[in-house]
Amino acid sequence: MSEKDANPSAKDALVGGSLFGRWEKLRGREGTVVGITAILVAVFPYLFARAPVVSGILQGYQSLATLILIWGIFAIGFDLLLGYTGLLSFGHAAFWGGAAYAAGIVAKNVSGDPIVMVVSGTLFAVLLAWVLGFLSLRRGGIYFSILTLAFAQMFYYMAASPLAFLTNGENGLTGVEVGSFLGVIHLESDIPSVGGMLLGTWLYAFVGVFFVGAVAVAYRILNSPYGMVFRAIRENEQRAEFVGLNVWRYKLMAFIISGAFAGIAGSLFTIHGAYVPLQSLFWTESGDIVVMTVLGGAGSMFGPVLGVGLYLYIENIVSTIQALTIPFTDIVLIRDFGFYWHLLLGLVFVVVVWVVPDGLWGILNRLRELAVEFGSKAAERLRSRSKGGGR
Amino acid sequence: MSLLSDVLVILLNGLQQGAIYVLLAVGLSIILGTLKFVNFAHGALYLIGTYAGLFVALNVPLSNGKLAEWGFSSFGLDIGFFAALIFVPLFVFGVGLLMERYLARAFYDRPDTDQILVTFGLAIVVQELFRVLFGSNSLPFEQPERILSFGSFAGLPVSGPVALPIVGNFPQWRLWVIGITAVLVALVYLLVEYTDFGLVVRAGTRDAEMVRLLGIKITRPYIVVFGIGAALAGVAGVVGGPLNVVNPTIGTNILVPAFLTVVIGGVGSIAGAVVGGIVFGLTTAALVAFAPAWSQVGLYAIAAIVLLTRPQGLLGDEEVTP
Repeated sequence: MSEKDANPSAKDALVGGSLFGRWEKLRGREGTVVGITAILVAVFPYLFARAPVVSGILQGYQSLATLILIWGIFAIGFDLLLGYTGLLSFGHAAFWGGAAYAAGIVAKNVSGDPIVMVVSGTLFAVLLAWVLGFLSLRRGGIYFSILTLAFAQMFYYMAASPLAFLTNGENGLTGVEVGSFLGVIHLESDIPSVGGMLLGTWLYAFVGVFFVGAVAVAYRILNSPYGMVFRAIRENEQRAEFVGLNVWRYKLMAFIISGAFAGIAGSLFTIHGAYVPLQSLFWTESGDIVVMTVLGGAGSMFGPVLGVGLYLYIENIVSTIQALTIPFTDIVLIRDFGFYWHLLLGLVFVVVVWVVPDGLWGILNRLRELAVEFGSKAAERLRSRSKGGGR
Repeated sequence: MSLLSDVLVILLNGLQQGAIYVLLAVGLSIILGTLKFVNFAHGALYLIGTYAGLFVALNVPLSNGKLAEWGFSSFGLDIGFFAALIFVPLFVFGVGLLMERYLARAFYDRPDTDQILVTFGLAIVVQELFRVLFGSNSLPFEQPERILSFGSFAGLPVSGPVALPIVGNFPQWRLWVIGITAVLVALVYLLVEYTDFGLVVRAGTRDAEMVRLLGIKITRPYIVVFGIGAALAGVAGVVGGPLNVVNPTIGTNILVPAFLTVVIGGVGSIAGAVVGGIVFGLTTAALVAFAPAWSQVGLYAIAAIVLLTRPQGLLGDEEVTP
């Protein structure tokens, strides 16, 4: 996006002052991005779970919509680290699961207020990210990945047995009771009237606010000089060091910010499910967020969210498909199609890494550019033809 | 039970536990050190080795998964454990060659993160393939009674307890695991250190371009190194199978300790991988004996401490480039 904004004059010459051109100018602005995100978040559960024809095809449901937003926050934070700073962490389950446990334990022992849960979970994740970042960032490249992996696994096994008195060990943290928001609104209940038709539950609205907030914050960071430094580090760490930037500090901050996003998401996950599975700390959970982010497109703002949507959709909806048929017929292509969901996802992931490293978002972007090019060429042809007619 | 025998039992158990890590870590380490390729699918090779071992050595009934649905009620050739020890490494060696030729080679010039991602994806694919075919439940992999039994020759007994001095009775199979590991690792060491092939490999580790300029085709040693690493993972699967559960997740579960073994031992160093594996094995065995709740945590704590105090690993001498 930013590359395009860099030379608006060239863009203007191409698309002129048309409606499309005006949109091209607007689409990079923070207000537009956050506004559109808010609108999409507002209509998403309606389209996904309740709209007449669309939801019938999609087969979505309300709680999955909520889950997609929660993982979406996680993925946006993860992408700050992987896509923009170029650090591949295989230990983010520690922040996601750690925050989930922290929020759950606070809810059980102190207060079940959702705000308190999110704040305590996030604080825990930030502190943990600080310590783990401080230790893991001493090494770069694959060693960073392996160190984060090792630390996260350590927490998994700690939660599994030595700390079982806190975490309830293998069974996961059960019996988390989420209180009402501000003492009056039960998050599980439906929103009345139009709001209810669009958003569904209060829980979705609660998560949605955090999601839009996460997008706004991430967008602000990435388009600030601070975020520019992240990208500089990704492109060439040594050069960034040479121009006098304190690379270590920026990397640590990127790690902590990314941990904070994971913490918010993890706390929301506990509120959403009122339960914390031990699995949420296991390294395959870190692997899942890696897969989602890369599938959607690391290094883009919304690509990872797209990846989250796709992953969770395949995991929860496609996996229930009994038989894959040719549309509108009864000819069965693959029986027990849903059974193969994870295999399918793995294959898609390998292909994406191999062929299109910028993910689905990259594909969409290229299509868009193609359309813009085609559109401007067509407009030019039109213009020259009308000129010719005048002569 | 005296204290001495307790300690010796822990040592032996630790060595056996470490032996599996060593087999995996030596393979990972030579691939990482020579080819500079990060293989997150090494656990998948272990998984393939275990199931292939099960297939060759025994004949187990299938109740779950697609194979059972397609009408295969049992699975296996049932031609004995020794055959598995011969054929499985060969098979996984072949798998390794294919993997190097068609996957790894395309990624040598791409960033580390891409290598991690694509092999991680491959690990998922292999794991899910096995889950689809065999179901996610555990299959029984019985310890072999005897190996090398042909016709009238009864073969060598390998299971059951054996009386050792001081220690008393100790499961014999565990000693075999230690022995097989020691022999194989020694062979790989000799191959890399004392043959012309090893010379080319070591030269390639230092400066691949120079080796190419000297007119040596480096791709062939590379593919063989990858194959040897894979074969070792296959052996680990065969000998480790009867000691652990056998299900599709074993590959991803063993990958993390295996990688840590490489890293704490020092990348590219065979001796380092052995030391790392033994340290891990002994730690785990000691913690299992004295503080079972912490048995898994200890491994990661040690890894973290070693990496933070000696980033190049215990026996790594290479300057670490971050």
